Amino acid sequence: MRFPTLPTWFAKKLSVASPVKVKDRSQLRVGIPKVLNIWTTAQFWVGFLKALGVSSENIIFSSDTSEEQGREFGKGRGTVDCCYPVKCISGHYGELIFGQKKKINVLFSPMIHTLPSLLHGHVVDTITCTRVMAGPESIKAGFMKERDIFTENGIVYASPFVSLGDRHMVVQQMHDSLKDVFDLDLEETNLAVQAGFEALDAFTAKARQQSRDILNWCAQNQKPCILVLARPYHMDTGIGHEIEAELQAHGFPILWLQYLPGDGDLMNWLFEEDMRSGRIKSPFDISDVWTSSYSSNTNEIMWGAKFASRCPWITCVIRLSSYECGMDQPTYTPTQKIVEASRTLFFKFGDLDSTKPAGSIKIRVETVVHYMAKYSQEIMRSKLARLSPQCPLGPLQAPASSLPESEVPAGLHADNPPAVSAAS
Amino acid sequence: MATDGLVQIQPLEGAFSLQSHVPRDAPIRADGAKLCGIDVGSTTCKYVIASGSGEVLAKAYERHNTKQAEKILDFLGRLESDHGLAAERDRIFFTGSGAGLIAPLVGGKVIQEVVAVAASVEKLHPSVHFVSEIGGEDMKTIFFTGNSGSKSKQVLMQSACSGGTGTFIEKTARKLEIATEQLSKMRYTGHTLHKISSKCGIFAEADANTLLKAGVTVDEIIASLFEAVVYQNLATLTRGNTPIPEILLLGGPNLFFTGLQEAWRHHLTKLWKERKVEMPEGKDPASLICVPDNALYYAAQGCVEVALGEPPTTGVYLGSKRLRWWIEEGQHEEKKKAGRGGLWKDIEELESFKARYGGNGNGHSNGNGNGHANGNGNGNGNGNHAPVPIQAASVARLGPVSVGCDFGSTTAKAVCLSPQKELLFSCYALSKGNPIEDAKSLFRQIRAAVGDGEILGLAITGYGKDLLKDILGADCPVVETIAHATAGLHYFPDADCICDVGGVDVKIMILNNGAVTDFRLNSQCSSGNGAFLQGVAERFNIPMNEMADGAFRATAMPQLSMGCGVFLQSDIVNQQRKGWQADEILAALCAILPLNVWIYAGGLNNLKSVGRKYILQGGTHKNLAVVKTQVDFILSKIPDAEVVVHPYSGEAGAIGAAIVALDWAEKGGHTAFRGFDSIENLTYKTATSTETVCHWCPVNCQRSFIDVELLGGKGREWSKVPLSKGWERVIVNNSCPKGLVEDLNEMKVIKAGIEKTKNAFPNVADLVRKEAFRRVSG
Repeated sequence: MRFPTLPTWFAKKLSVASPVKVKDRSQLRVGIPKVLNIWTTAQFWVGFLKALGVSSENIIFSSDTSEEQGREFGKGRGTVDCCYPVKCISGHYGELIFGQKKKINVLFSPMIHTLPSLLHGHVVDTITCTRVMAGPESIKAGFMKERDIFTENGIVYASPFVSLGDRHMVVQQMHDSLKDVFDLDLEETNLAVQAGFEALDAFTAKARQQSRDILNWCAQNQKPCILVLARPYHMDTGIGHEIEAELQAHGFPILWLQYLPGDGDLMNWLFEEDMRSGRIKSPFDISDVWTSSYSSNTNEIMWGAKFASRCPWITCVIRLSSYECGMDQPTYTPTQKIVEASRTLFFKFGDLDSTKPAGSIKIRVETVVHYMAKYSQEIMRSKLARLSPQCPLGPLQAPASSLPESEVPAGLHADNPPAVSAAS
Repeated sequence: MATDGLVQIQPLEGAFSLQSHVPRDAPIRADGAKLCGIDVGSTTCKYVIASGSGEVLAKAYERHNTKQAEKILDFLGRLESDHGLAAERDRIFFTGSGAGLIAPLVGGKVIQEVVAVAASVEKLHPSVHFVSEIGGEDMKTIFFTGNSGSKSKQVLMQSACSGGTGTFIEKTARKLEIATEQLSKMRYTGHTLHKISSKCGIFAEADANTLLKAGVTVDEIIASLFEAVVYQNLATLTRGNTPIPEILLLGGPNLFFTGLQEAWRHHLTKLWKERKVEMPEGKDPASLICVPDNALYYAAQGCVEVALGEPPTTGVYLGSKRLRWWIEEGQHEEKKKAGRGGLWKDIEELESFKARYGGNGNGHSNGNGNGHANGNGNGNGNGNHAPVPIQAASVARLGPVSVGCDFGSTTAKAVCLSPQKELLFSCYALSKGNPIEDAKSLFRQIRAAVGDGEILGLAITGYGKDLLKDILGADCPVVETIAHATAGLHYFPDADCICDVGGVDVKIMILNNGAVTDFRLNSQCSSGNGAFLQGVAERFNIPMNEMADGAFRATAMPQLSMGCGVFLQSDIVNQQRKGWQADEILAALCAILPLNVWIYAGGLNNLKSVGRKYILQGGTHKNLAVVKTQVDFILSKIPDAEVVVHPYSGEAGAIGAAIVALDWAEKGGHTAFRGFDSIENLTYKTATSTETVCHWCPVNCQRSFIDVELLGGKGREWSKVPLSKGWERVIVNNSCPKGLVEDLNEMKVIKAGIEKTKNAFPNVADLVRKEAFRRVSG
């Protein structure tokens, strides 16, 4: 079965509308499911499409995952897949196809093969989970099994296979798979891919800077923060269930491993000893703990654990994992052991699926808050003692206990386990 | 857990075709043998007897009340006398859950259920593309694709969980005291629907109860149940396929419940419209969903159809003699073979277990009052239940103490610890639904014991911790996990895991570096909790404290299956029918409990990864038979494991809280405890009106507001039931934590506070959520 392509779509429009240049893509509406690795690459797609002339308001992301979305738009189109983050894509597709006031023309769901990563060049590879990479294909099948829902709704389904971690390959890949959909020539593909990476790099840099600012603030005030070890889509409120936000509400800044700062000064300070001893070749080398370093997100999770184990102000790590994630399974014990080696607190919220186990989360969040209040100062002190006094985050101030009472968040009274409001 | 038992059977491409084997006009076989199809289902048995050419001569169905074999014997008797079924001549074919056991006893052949149903459908309804058969304990769907001769079939069935089955509806209907005849007439259309858990029958029942309490009509609840069943079938058993007309609905529930048929019609026609499924011209879509009058007989009839294609030597009826023997004798012998030994290997092993874990038994026997029984961190290392000191009011005047209170849903408990962490005093109050009165009762008892003694610190745990913190002047509100972990580690500092099996939930706390690093709370599924055990014991009229003795008396027990509590209930009835006695069934239940706790509910398949020292606590572990099976189970997984029972299993929460308060006081904390007089003289007013109804969800709980006069109380001027300064409000009778927030106004106040904190303490994910998907630069 052949999909309608941009030229055919415009050919139809041209027959009824006023003269439009074939490559004027400003009216084209492109829907992107907000799923899986789109969470860390969204700006690439925005930059790419905008460079092709697609108007900002015509790039539509689906909403966060929710049970309602699945019920209303995805029902019965599920696939035989135990991976909830993949399974729920059918709800996103359905929402983009049926749930838009103004219909989309293209459903754009890339199959991302490799990912950009701080660890690129220091690990074996940065490929994605095969199930995640091929997710769009299996979900598409649910919409084409009996009849072609895309064509019926006048939608072109576009799913480029792309190796974002290997930038030199991207232009050709995008051109090959999208030339018919968007009527692309190689040169404009090249410019659009460049624009995409610029947008992505700018956003990533901004997010890493925020993490650095948080660590700066923690160092200046000797206050703890929490690192979330999870996959990018756990930022989706319907998949990660905003567990970390409940801890944030207790007065703890939250870092995500995807956007940890990789600045040279900080890296050298944290990993100085490991490099001197020859255990690792660079701060981004994880071969000391993970030799099969093929999978990008898994690699970063391992590196995040190492970072957390060394960084003094990360006194607690929250591990999120979806139900029966085969990629996460072998990392549970190593990450926990790495983090706990420096007595940093480690808490796992595993087997997450569509239902938010609110009661259990509340109890666990309160548990985490209790231990953070009890042990954070001691954890910071002992981790600092292992590092050189030349901290790149500036001269360190006195410990939190000597701060004015009003400046200490509720969660940080080491001698006062905090109360929790019912709504948290 | 619904997906666990989902079975996808490969399409039956090129399966037998009735037409090709037996032309419709085939002559009656020369031998004149009759053909009999019998469906031995989970709740009913059906038979169809036909001539050698497949012409139906008679049929019947009857409930078997879990006596499948007896019912079949009865059927065979009637078939022989009324319809001339003859041994050595006629042929008999069985299908259904009980077929495998019975068929060989009478010479019959077993036909797989789906094959049987499909054979009937293909013969009787060549234009059907989708069949839903809902049974008592399973649900199946069959998709037929292709045309006439070469139809392929895709079969999906689910039989491990009650969600979406007939039992699911009937269980709740029984609870609502609706007679079957009435249930069958109840409607789906025209009623407001409410959310009912479609996943588990026990939770559906709980949801129905909550709705009932909230004043929702029985009609609406039943309509919502029909909705849940159809949703569960469509959501889990269609797997990306659209049921294409025509549709056939089979099985008892589909036939008998008008409302269920309406729910199917509603959902399927809606789905067809959404998916633009083409309808045959001039036909009302609803008319394409057919429930045949003989919907119950399709499997039995299918046996006959399949039999027509089988060689004449298969399934020759051998008479009912062996079946009779099996019912009268054989099954009892088999029972012993199929079952397993009791909970103990030999009497020495049992005695040695009892010597180690039996201890002082349960309860609140009066101790000597000064805590020598428990020692300081090393007492009861062998896991005995220790006596909890309770002092009479007249013997009073303890020294400075730390007080810990645990406000649970049914009881409130309090303990006093000495500065050396010795347990000096314990008391409890049965919850009266008013936490202020519960607190008053506890503190009256504490005052009698402590007298003028100093209170070093007060900590509270349990649901009351947030409600009562300010009212009592508690120094530390302690979350349950911390309270239990603190108490556990105090007595067993090297513990790796605490397993708390309570009445309504199972909690597993995994400890590492002295902290709770992982926590499993099972409140999604009733499997494995104490209430279930208690429910069965009550049915047998066995008091809880005699249950262990009964279970230990059993020298053999049936093998029950792990998992769904709904099916476990019917499994028990089934075992009872087989002749297993109450003691033996209780032993089997105790034996299955660890599997349900650790594997089914806790999801811990690899116990070794948890550690080697386990503390058992919670009310259910006061049952020594459960302790025995827990110990045996853990040791079978980890031979060098050490399993201990918390010496104060029921008071652990309060003890943990008191220890936290003591630690706090040792670090220089000065208690904010309001004092016995203030608590005794707490003035409060209770309001229950339309203004106090909770509107967070459609259940609309009728809450009560207890307003307490309190120095420094912040009041609630924004409330619909305004409260002036100098008062605090406690909200009760809510059925979920949401109800603790009074209304939208309070939510706004709380949200504003949270937002303020969140702005001060950033979360990188917020940046991603706000900016990563931004289409405009900036």
